[in-house]
Amino acid sequence: MTSSPVLPRTSAQTVQAFLDAFGRHDVEAALAVADPQVSVTVHPLGIGGTGAEALRKVLADLVRAFPDLLISVSRIVTTGGVVTALVKTEGTQSADYAGAINQEKHLDIDQAWRFVTSNGLITEVTAYWCQAQVYRRLAVKRYDEIAIA
Amino acid sequence: MTTLNGTPRTTAESAAGVVSEFFDRYRAHDVEAMTGLCSVNADFSYVPVELWGKQRVLRGDGKVRTVGKPLWTGLIASFPDLSLAVHTITSNDDGDVVAQVDIEGTQQRPWGLIAPAGKHYREPHLFIFHVGADLLIDSITAYWNDAGISQQLGHNEVD
Repeated sequence: MTSSPVLPRTSAQTVQAFLDAFGRHDVEAALAVADPQVSVTVHPLGIGGTGAEALRKVLADLVRAFPDLLISVSRIVTTGGVVTALVKTEGTQSADYAGAINQEKHLDIDQAWRFVTSNGLITEVTAYWCQAQVYRRLAVKRYDEIAIA
Repeated sequence: MTTLNGTPRTTAESAAGVVSEFFDRYRAHDVEAMTGLCSVNADFSYVPVELWGKQRVLRGDGKVRTVGKPLWTGLIASFPDLSLAVHTITSNDDGDVVAQVDIEGTQQRPWGLIAPAGKHYREPHLFIFHVGADLLIDSITAYWNDAGISQQLGHNEVD
């Protein structure tokens, strides 16, 4: 019995593997295609850091707060070593998220995730979405009183 | 670069050049010149833009000439010192261009439901363009966090 050679992943394949795992709510599998020193910036959450833990928190918080989380990829754009994924994130809130208490509201939000990859691993993630749309859907009334329904 | 029949052909470099020029014109507040870099029927989507009314939601989706141009004009009028910093531009030979841009300005007039208080904002944006074979932009999509802008301008209501 011979083993098949492991083919190097393209940038788009690396990102697709990440998104597929995230779509299955398998945070650890998603992190497996990220460099341990991945740079993570999530503008709407004010997160900027380095390392898998930062990315784990972003993904795990979403999966925990929205157990029926559905990730739909509408488009993947590859520009050199940069892969940009346009996704729709949907789910029903079941736990507090980003300071917003659970009112069992439905979330549907368009997001853009920009990835940089190297040697089959994600080395940089920058996420863009509108937190005003998130709070609007979760029935938050004021930015200075997010936890008050 | 041109094809054998003499028409221009999009390359990663030429597409990025068009987008770079677009942001130069934006920085100069020249909306007509920005629009001039876009095809007549160019698509436009500013994803965070949604104004909730009692019976309908107005979104920032449509065409550059009918939705984009008024939005750019209004933004520049409300933030007369509007400026931008382009951090990265990446592109491919299909004409796709992705740009990370910070936009900033000081509010002097109402913007949407936000009353002017003379406050300043600076917010990261991600733009996704497509540049056609005629070297005109035929699609613009942008993402940013509108909550960040509202809070920086002192507007704490989630409208």
